[in-house]
Amino acid sequence: MSRRRSASFAEVSKLGAFLRRDVLVRLSYRTAILSDWFSLFAQAFVFSFVSKLVDPSRLPAAQGDRTTYIAYVAVGIAVSGFMAVGLARLVQAVRQEQFMGTLESVMVTPTMASTILLGSVIYDMIYVPIRTVIFLVIVSIWFNVSFAASGYLPALILLAAFIPFVWGIGSIASASVLTFRRGTGVIGFATFALTFTSGAYFPLSLFPGWVETLASLNPIAVAITGMREQLIGGGGWGDAAGVLLKLAPMSAISLLLGLYAFRLAMRRERRLGTLGLY
Amino acid sequence: MGPNGAGKTTFLRILTGLLLPDSGSVHVAGLDVAAEPMAVRRTIGFFPSGDRTFYQRISGLENLTFFARLNGVSRSDAIRRAERRLADVGLADAARQRVGLYSHGMQKRLSMARALLMDPPVLVMDEATDGLDPEGARRVQDLISGVAATGTAVVWTTQRLDEIRGFADAVTVLDQGRTTFQGTVEDMMLKSTARGYLLRLRAASGGELDGAALEQAAAAIGGHGTLARAGIDREHYRLELNHDAVLGEALSALAGAGAVVLDCAQRRSELEESFLRLTTART
Repeated sequence: MSRRRSASFAEVSKLGAFLRRDVLVRLSYRTAILSDWFSLFAQAFVFSFVSKLVDPSRLPAAQGDRTTYIAYVAVGIAVSGFMAVGLARLVQAVRQEQFMGTLESVMVTPTMASTILLGSVIYDMIYVPIRTVIFLVIVSIWFNVSFAASGYLPALILLAAFIPFVWGIGSIASASVLTFRRGTGVIGFATFALTFTSGAYFPLSLFPGWVETLASLNPIAVAITGMREQLIGGGGWGDAAGVLLKLAPMSAISLLLGLYAFRLAMRRERRLGTLGLY
Repeated sequence: MGPNGAGKTTFLRILTGLLLPDSGSVHVAGLDVAAEPMAVRRTIGFFPSGDRTFYQRISGLENLTFFARLNGVSRSDAIRRAERRLADVGLADAARQRVGLYSHGMQKRLSMARALLMDPPVLVMDEATDGLDPEGARRVQDLISGVAATGTAVVWTTQRLDEIRGFADAVTVLDQGRTTFQGTVEDMMLKSTARGYLLRLRAASGGELDGAALEQAAAAIGGHGTLARAGIDREHYRLELNHDAVLGEALSALAGAGAVVLDCAQRRSELEESFLRLTTART
């Protein structure tokens, strides 16, 4: 038992090595970091003008509180951006290693496949939530959007509960790219479908009834609605617990399916000997 | 050893667990590769044949430290090992330089440093001298010879015949996925049979062999092999000895027929002859 625990500790400690590697690699691409932030703020800037056209009375109330469109959409941009960037980077992480030729070098070390998968995205799993929080803080200052202080911590916890969902979907996407090589188009479409029906940019009530019902089961919609309830309406721990009860099983299932799919894909690559091909 | 497509890299990929065998089993240092992949990977230091197997945007030191940490050592130990191995391969001065700025030879040496990083009992080297100049290749071989002298088992694949003499203890020749030879370098050289020689001949009178003298010489060699003009000039001839012929007897027969042998050189080395005989390659 203690040997297993020390082996697990050794695996976890390897994540630090992945994190350091990716911090150094990303810092070597400073222009990419700047352009990422620029595009995020450009998006918020555009929506600040759209906000002037949208009647707040047409937006759904959060805990009975009406809000502006910029406050409404900022949460949507933050969470859907979290999903899109997280997913894209998960897929890119494995693909890039294949392109660079480093995937096999990593695979011949005594490191578990799940550690390699997690290690490949640990930087983004830390950076993207921080990016999301910083974005919301800056938008709230820049556009004078007042978020409910009591909702900060519950919203953060909801965001944390959403991370395994993104990781799971990303792992499935990574597995499909490993297997089919050029599966990014399908992944892009799936991301669009999930984001489009998430209520990030407009209320779900604008959809036809049956789409609205389906969309309300979309985990991104659950996360966005839950975070809006917290940040705009200050929903509190009771509401957060209700959202968590919905989100946690979705995240758990996504994560388990993702790890399983990735292991299957790796096993197939090993059987065919095509891990290094792209 | 083996020509392109013989299965050398495939075999190494099975050894390192990158590829699962279709059938049979492979053991490294007593460990079953399929049943104990992690233990096998802890036993092996791998030198891949590809060029870009490092993170190009970070330094050689950071690359090696990363790979050492994936072997489960602490960061301080990883840095210590990385610095030691970088010095061993002559890259101490370039340790903090981005790998993307390294030359081909430097990347090969860095790959060598990575393979040696954890002082593994088994080293697996896939065409380690490929693309290196003779001096660079010799440097890599010397380093590996030193490591092997300490008791490390080295599996070394190559297509270069010149590098196995005086370097390999045992040779396995693969051809189209099958073993066609296993033994020492000397045993392999003994496999050489169909031998070709380049001769420089003159008539006993001092001039070139004219028609009649040439016919006489060719007839004299008849029982030993074949003699034909090499096409370079009128002095050079190609001698192909039969399977059981002896070179000395063939040359005596030529002398008896009035030809003076000015020079005799082997067209291919014994190793090359053996390699060609053991494989389907004929280039």
